Amino acid sequence: MVVGDIATGTEVLVIGAGPGGYVAAIRAAQEGLDTTLVEKDAYGGACLNRGCIPSKALITGSGLAHEAGNAESMGIHADPAVDMGKMVEWKDGVVDRLTGGVEKLCKANGVNLIEGTASFVDEHTARVAHGGEGQGSESIEFEHAVVATGSRPIQIPGFDFAEDHVWSSAEALDADTVPDRLGIVGGGYIGMELATTYAKLGADVTVVEMLDDILDPYEDDVKRIVRTRAEELGVEFHFGEGASEWSEAADGGYLLHTETEEGEESTYGVDKVLVAVGRRPVTDGLDLGEAGIETDDRGFIETDDRTRTAVDHIHAVGDVSGEPMLAHAASKEGIVAAEVIAGEPAAMDQQAIPAAVFTDPEIGTVGLTEAEAEAEGFDPVVGEMPFNASGRAMTTGHTEGFVRIVADDETGFVLGAQIVGPEASELIAEVALAIEMGATLEDVAATVHTHPTLAEAVMEAAENARGQAIHTLNR
Amino acid sequence: MPVKEFKLPDVGEGVAEGELVTWLVAPGDRVEEDQPVAEVETDKALVEVPSSYDGTVEELFVEEGDIVPVGDVIISFRVGEDGEGGEATAEADADSAEADADATESAADADTESASEPGTEPEPETPSGRTFAPPSARRLARELGVDIAAVDGSGPGDRISEADVRAHAEGGDGGSDTADSGSDEAPAPTPTDVGSGGRKSAVKKRGDDGATGSAATTAPAPDAPEPAGRETTLATPATRKVARELGVEVDDVPTDETRDGEAFVTGEAVRAYAEALESGESPEPEATEATEAPEAPEAPEAPEAAVVDADASAPEPGSVDASSSAGSTDETVPYRGVRRTIGKQMERSKFTAPHVTHHDTAEVDALVEAREELKPRAEEEGVKLTYMPFVMKAIVAGLKEYPSLNSELREDDEEIVLKGDYNLGVAVATDAGLMVPVVESVDEKGLFELAAEVRDLASRARERKLKPAEMKGGTFSITNFGAIGGEYATPIINYPETAILGLGAIEERPVARDGEVVAAPTLPLSLSIDHRVIDGAVAAEFANTVIEHLEHPLLLLSH
Ligand SMILES: Cc1cc2nc3c(=O)[nH]c(=O)nc-3n(C[C@H](O)[C@H](O)[C@H](O)COP(=O)(O)OP(=O)(O)OC[C@H]3O[C@@H](n4cnc5c(N)ncnc54)[C@H](O)[C@@H]3O)c2cc1C
Repeated sequence: MVVGDIATGTEVLVIGAGPGGYVAAIRAAQEGLDTTLVEKDAYGGACLNRGCIPSKALITGSGLAHEAGNAESMGIHADPAVDMGKMVEWKDGVVDRLTGGVEKLCKANGVNLIEGTASFVDEHTARVAHGGEGQGSESIEFEHAVVATGSRPIQIPGFDFAEDHVWSSAEALDADTVPDRLGIVGGGYIGMELATTYAKLGADVTVVEMLDDILDPYEDDVKRIVRTRAEELGVEFHFGEGASEWSEAADGGYLLHTETEEGEESTYGVDKVLVAVGRRPVTDGLDLGEAGIETDDRGFIETDDRTRTAVDHIHAVGDVSGEPMLAHAASKEGIVAAEVIAGEPAAMDQQAIPAAVFTDPEIGTVGLTEAEAEAEGFDPVVGEMPFNASGRAMTTGHTEGFVRIVADDETGFVLGAQIVGPEASELIAEVALAIEMGATLEDVAATVHTHPTLAEAVMEAAENARGQAIHTLNR
Repeated sequence: MPVKEFKLPDVGEGVAEGELVTWLVAPGDRVEEDQPVAEVETDKALVEVPSSYDGTVEELFVEEGDIVPVGDVIISFRVGEDGEGGEATAEADADSAEADADATESAADADTESASEPGTEPEPETPSGRTFAPPSARRLARELGVDIAAVDGSGPGDRISEADVRAHAEGGDGGSDTADSGSDEAPAPTPTDVGSGGRKSAVKKRGDDGATGSAATTAPAPDAPEPAGRETTLATPATRKVARELGVEVDDVPTDETRDGEAFVTGEAVRAYAEALESGESPEPEATEATEAPEAPEAPEAPEAAVVDADASAPEPGSVDASSSAGSTDETVPYRGVRRTIGKQMERSKFTAPHVTHHDTAEVDALVEAREELKPRAEEEGVKLTYMPFVMKAIVAGLKEYPSLNSELREDDEEIVLKGDYNLGVAVATDAGLMVPVVESVDEKGLFELAAEVRDLASRARERKLKPAEMKGGTFSITNFGAIGGEYATPIINYPETAILGLGAIEERPVARDGEVVAAPTLPLSLSIDHRVIDGAVAAEFANTVIEHLEHPLLLLSH
């Protein structure tokens, strides 16, 4: 028997090695399935290479520099100089360690790794074109497939990412100098995270947003805190304006042109323009149709609660399968996909998926807001704890924001939480657990929390909802 | 008089569990040290478990047919003085009854309490169909095919636990409708049942509170048997379990049997009593209410279904059992013990080693002659000479020339180990299934010695008296299916060995010789190899060598 005669076959073919794909591949291999993972670019996907991780690295770096330079009230006098090239180099080091780790983990778990671009030939065959001209391609027969091809930034007319001065988030995370003036199109979470970052690094940041506020999905009091803080940092906002084009300016920079719905035009002088108006699923070149899969009108692949597409043995996970386009949602879907393929009773049955925005201050949310709970037919009860009543918050010098917890009045079940403030991204995890476990306000309130910590604010908010808070006036 | 517990000993290397096939003793029996008390079937052998004590059997902790992990307590003995242990037995038993009762009681307590927690009774539908249950319970629900929205939660605000899901799943097939509507509509249970009944009432589940209870307070139904109402009763834990499951009090079960002067109740008697209770009972309207109130989520299913059936439809004794087994002529045979071991081993071999089977035939006129010649000599030495020793010797000749067939592939170590020993496994069909005892160092043994050894191993295999060690260490195996009939087969390798030779029946068959078809004794051979290790050509060459030695038995002298 000659091995070369046998067409490559695999039980599970995973396309794309982002947080959806690599997690699916590792779990599938753990389940004892023969698993092949195809990636065309870099292990770790958008999240590790040009998303979550690099942005958080720069947010920390810029935050540290800014803190150090603004701590006179603590008796610290400093004027930190930031070497942007060096900071990006450090960030790259972090990324390399993580992506190298992903590759090692895959190998250690017995996942076959193939570099190349995959496309479907039919329901059970994919072709992988290896990187570079003339590198050839191979056919892979699979029993099950997981599509995890992620998303890419949306490009708008008039702003070509190929232009040097037009940035997507990827370029914004890879700049070796800080532009003097940065125009940002889009006040969503990516735009706002980068606005904060660059403002702290000393750029004059102008945010242009078509809607009349930033961070559309969040509640007004949440938005206000973040926007106010951004304004303090020098970020200028222009709402109700859409970016229409750019032109060269006499000073060697550029002009960012905007237009309101009524046709009023404005221009802002900038050196770079970051376009952060959202992300769209990546399915081009995949030939989904050959496998019998269609996308919806926004380009997403529709899936059921077992992450199955219309073709049962092909799953889709992560950004390509729709909202929420978040790394941890992608990973959860990846695990479910692998376990469903392995015949286990897994499903996307979580009560809630938390989300975090790493602005200053941070936002962490999970589950229902008060209004959403009402809309779902609950009789919600709400408890709050402002961070300006938290001892620990004061000692960090950051007392903006609050913890709000939403529960069902009748049963006490925790339904959701909105946290704005220091470490909100971390604090939200506790409430996520409470919701998943079906914990009640009493459960959260009666759990002893360490003092002095920010997490005490979660306990206090739960007590507040029960009219039993010690450190705030009960409403 | 101390009571000694006795654990299932390690009955063979590497054996982790065994099926307790038969108890050879019963509580109250006198045993001596080393007297067998039970037969346990392990991976490949039936072993007798000897007592390590002189004494009286106190209690049996497992039932026949149970799979018992090595190290679990299976039996206890009272050791020390002999004879009159009546009192001690009674005491010990009463104690254990108490312990049982206590355990059940606290369970019932907890259930009643949580179910009657204030403020939770009139539960509104959860908005938007949301169920409050941790991820583990939700997953379990999917695993058990339960719609979690239909599960009644026992936690605060009806939060659903894994136990709730299980209870629902088990109740589901008995009469889930009744159970569901029951718990929805039933008034909140009061804790008085537990209190008034005293510690033993907790043992009574439905049978007592509903059926027996009503029999005691209202006039007994005409056919209902009188509860015996003893103070203490001897019964094995298994019997007590049956009683709990059927909602019967062992003290109430009539019996004539005694042990050490105490009333002794068997499982049979308990079942008979439970059945009599049911058939004697007339369906009463309050029975439904009374029985549902204290229903705990973990309530045993069988009696529940039984009572519901009795209430709702014609009260037919044993109708539940009948319905579960009626309508099918299929028979269910447990897949465990030796059968399961064989199955696992076959599965592993066939799915690990790519098998190729090579077929050929030896013309064995000379071999038949040689055996005829040697047979009387063998008989003089008390040995029945078969062809097997010749075949074994011929195989050794082949293996010496082609060592890859006497090898083991260790994939993880990326190496093939060529064995220095020639230990041949000989497959033996037994009543319990296939066993492969191993004849060691075949190359060093004479024909007669081999004949005697094979005979001994095979007969002990059939009696299931082989020691596990006697089935280990093989380097190559032989399966003589021809003994039963047939010519060719595709044997499965005795993994991790790499080859096995199957023997057809030696019979006269047509053979072409010098252009003529003549009848000659032939031996059909079926050689399966692990193609990862051995290529087809090598297999054929090995077969040629074996055939050469079978056709020219004198060659065997050279080995
Ligand atoms: C600036 C920024 C910040 C972010 N911050 C956060 C955050 O803080 N928290 C959070 O949860 N999320 C964050 N996200 C979102 C997060 O990155 C995505 O939700 C996540 O990466 C989605 O994972 P995925 O596996 O679906 O796809 P991706 O990570 O996009 O991975 C898809 C992979 O598939 C490969 N691929 C595509 N097509 C093919 C093909 N045909 N053949 C082979 N390979 C292919 C791609 O090269 C890519 O590596 C951020 C995103 C950005 C841009």
